[in-house]
Amino acid sequence: MLKGHLDAIVLAALEAGPAHGYAVIETIRARSGQTFDLPEGTIYPALHRLEQAGLLSSSWTTPPSGRRRRVYSLTKAGAAALARRRKDWTRFAGAVDSFLGGRAWPA
Amino acid sequence: MAGLIETYVADLRRELDFDRLAAQRIANEVEDHLRESAEADPAWPSPDAERRAIERFGLGREIAAQFAADAIDRQARRTWMTVLACVIVTFVAMRLRVIWLDGETVSALAPLVDRYAFLGAIAAATVGWFALRRSLLALSLCLVGLGASIAAGFVRADLFAHGAPLGVLLTAGGEILLVGLLCVHLVGFGRQLRRTAALRGALR
Repeated sequence: MLKGHLDAIVLAALEAGPAHGYAVIETIRARSGQTFDLPEGTIYPALHRLEQAGLLSSSWTTPPSGRRRRVYSLTKAGAAALARRRKDWTRFAGAVDSFLGGRAWPA
Repeated sequence: MAGLIETYVADLRRELDFDRLAAQRIANEVEDHLRESAEADPAWPSPDAERRAIERFGLGREIAAQFAADAIDRQARRTWMTVLACVIVTFVAMRLRVIWLDGETVSALAPLVDRYAFLGAIAAATVGWFALRRSLLALSLCLVGLGASIAAGFVRADLFAHGAPLGVLLTAGGEILLVGLLCVHLVGFGRQLRRTAALRGALR
């Protein structure tokens, strides 16, 4: 179920600011209360796919700790895509919630 | 002796050989990730810390299969854009040849092949574009149709004997170039499809 929403989750994880792959997966784990415990490697195809689509940009940086890292940031198009996906998700989740709860949608 | 992380990254780089440029960058990123992950392990430095970092990361072949699937979409997009350019240039070249020839032709069959092979290519392209973007068959039919139409157009106009005007010759050159490019894309696309299928097959 998570796989279909991975791109939106990655975009949301980068909303707070630029981060490298390891930090993105840590953010996803922390913000989901360890519920989204993906194999860490699955994040990289998503990061590259989103970059190819122009929703993320990336560059190599060397922090004071010394290890070179590829840091990803949300582009303007990425922020707009995230807002769209968030809206779609809210509507979809609301409808499913109502349906499973036996209530009419929209309320 | 190479460490576990080095071996894992070297294997992953080999699995990603369908895109050598990306493979290098991905391998660097993955190596950084695994080292950071291993260093965060309480048992660091030790092979156990490296092994656990690799386990958390997942199977290299599975990750390569995901990259390969994305690469197919990119390759398909490039190939279909080349088909579109090919169709446009072939159409313009056909019109220029017809205007220049003004009814004259050295062959009775060539105009029919020229027209109907082109229409066949358009039909295959329309079906492929809207329904079968990952179909090697639709792309191959387009290529055969366009190739036959272009060859028939050349025979019809007897380009080299007639001393055709520059516009006709230039568009004919464009047709040859684009069909050549389409062949290259088609071969690359076929290779990518086989590679992805092999990676997925190995995971089953």
